[in-house]
Amino acid sequence: MRFRTRLAIAAAPLALTACTGIGGYGGFGDYYALVRAREVKVGDGSMAVTPPREWNRQRRTFFDDIRWVEDWTLNGPLLDDMTFISGLPHGEYLIHTNKHDAEQVPRFDSDMTAPEIQAMLESAYRVRGGAVDFKTISLTPRPFMGYPGFQLDYEHLDGDELWRKGRAVGAVIGGRLYLVMLDAARSHYFPDEIRDFEAITASARLRS
Amino acid sequence: MCIRCEISRRALLAGGGALAASLVSGPAAARIKPADMVPLIGPGFKPVDRDEQGLWEQMDRVEEEIAGTNLLIPDNGIQHYVQQLIGKVGGPAAKDMRIYLLRIPEFNAMMFPSGFAVVFSGLLLRMRDEAQLAGVIAHESGHFLRRHMIRQWRDMRRKSDLLSIGSMVAGLGGAGAGIYLGDYVQLAQLGTILSLFRYNRELEAEADAMGLRLIAEAGYAPMAMSDTWAQLIGELDASAKYRRKHRDRGYDLFETHPAAESRMTDLRVSAAEMTVPGRHYDTGRDRYLSTIAPIRQMLLDDQVKLNDPGASQYVIETLAQDGWNGLLRFYEGEVWRLRNRDSEGDWTRAAQSYAIAVAYPDAPAEAWRWHGVALMKEGRQSEARAALSRYLSMQPHAVDAAYIRQMIG
Repeated sequence: MRFRTRLAIAAAPLALTACTGIGGYGGFGDYYALVRAREVKVGDGSMAVTPPREWNRQRRTFFDDIRWVEDWTLNGPLLDDMTFISGLPHGEYLIHTNKHDAEQVPRFDSDMTAPEIQAMLESAYRVRGGAVDFKTISLTPRPFMGYPGFQLDYEHLDGDELWRKGRAVGAVIGGRLYLVMLDAARSHYFPDEIRDFEAITASARLRS
Repeated sequence: MCIRCEISRRALLAGGGALAASLVSGPAAARIKPADMVPLIGPGFKPVDRDEQGLWEQMDRVEEEIAGTNLLIPDNGIQHYVQQLIGKVGGPAAKDMRIYLLRIPEFNAMMFPSGFAVVFSGLLLRMRDEAQLAGVIAHESGHFLRRHMIRQWRDMRRKSDLLSIGSMVAGLGGAGAGIYLGDYVQLAQLGTILSLFRYNRELEAEADAMGLRLIAEAGYAPMAMSDTWAQLIGELDASAKYRRKHRDRGYDLFETHPAAESRMTDLRVSAAEMTVPGRHYDTGRDRYLSTIAPIRQMLLDDQVKLNDPGASQYVIETLAQDGWNGLLRFYEGEVWRLRNRDSEGDWTRAAQSYAIAVAYPDAPAEAWRWHGVALMKEGRQSEARAALSRYLSMQPHAVDAAYIRQMIG
């Protein structure tokens, strides 16, 4: 979940600093790492997926260090973003949250139903993604990794006046949230990448 | 220029800059009497001086962006309504001024130097009646009628090295990046643009006094303006309290100069001065509420989903001073559900609000859905199924109908 308008642009230079200091990485090129078209572990490693083509994994940054959340992109986070959540536990947040911020991203609870997860994602887009309008297109039952889950389709108008479209497929398994989400510019990018999303979702499996 | 410039920490941080800060510092001015305020321009005003012409040219580009933004609230009668209001309280420039309603859930409005105003949807949510909205528009008109932008610009240029309007724009906005003004509009970062229009306290006081005079002459209760100001202060305090912070913490200017409170006090004194004992003042409450009715749920939704529980609860309780209803009770529940603090029993509070909301005839369908979810969590399955079924009967084509049907089983 790359929260673009407010976060992504601000994040880039800081992320570089953090990488240089902590991991020894340097240069802009190290901000992304290539993801090959074969099975890869995502998030904290408890979920694996197989992309049909190469993607770019965004490195976790100093203040965007939720270990269960990982972001990929094809054309840069302003145009598209694939998010993986690999077992977010009860009481945790999708993104790093400062409790003193006026507007708070809601917390995940292990007993959340799909409508509550939808509401949590919607508020995250409004609070941190700069969405001024968020429309849920549909919320339907859909199994994920063999467990009862849901599919959420949505669109949002962001502060940069671009309409983006998204699909999330997820399930709460053993009280933890597992989810794959594609969020991309409604024109061209979303239709272009939804096949990747479906292939990745179909390939997702839990790692023991 | 904008009603909350002096106390909006967000706008300050966005604008940054010592120059912006210097504009509002200095000793508090004495109260300006509404009776002393006369418009400095007449109908059809056009600038003749080169610097002001340059400023208007810049503003024309901004207006073009705003007029074409897809953040504009679609015209469903509300646009016409606010345009009529500006006709009532716009003084001699009533027919010259334009107004744009943008869907941005913040408590703000602003007048641009060339005579167009922008009102954020968050302001519409918070107004309890037409008099309050008229007061805000009159204050903004006051800036235009008193030619504040050009007066402040000339004053600032005397004191600084800035050579042109363009350099001011580049210097104050976008952290000195020199970004074309339209970019701010595209980013909906209108808070940033406010840094250009942060008037010194004397000019704000003039706009307050001018505005007060305009609404009084239009037959609205003069006290409406200070009520709005009190709401703004109350909301910021409530939001900060939830975060265990002071509203002004981290910004010394306000700790040494309690501008917000003193402006409110001045407004109250002036309003008392302008109020004619025994006269009946129109609040236009019914007219206002029926006009915004088609978008009121959207306005509440946009606010509450920001999950700023202090501010949202304050807004809801303020609106409920005119009577609770199903819509307000439902959103009260939404505030607690989204805050989700176990130690405060938020889910229980949310469940209670939903249960009360559905007892009102105007409860939105969503109140039945969340009432059902809450009952399900409490293990009251049959009642939950009944509530969810009620939701589906009210909205058979709801976007989540398929999922809710599965929950009903």
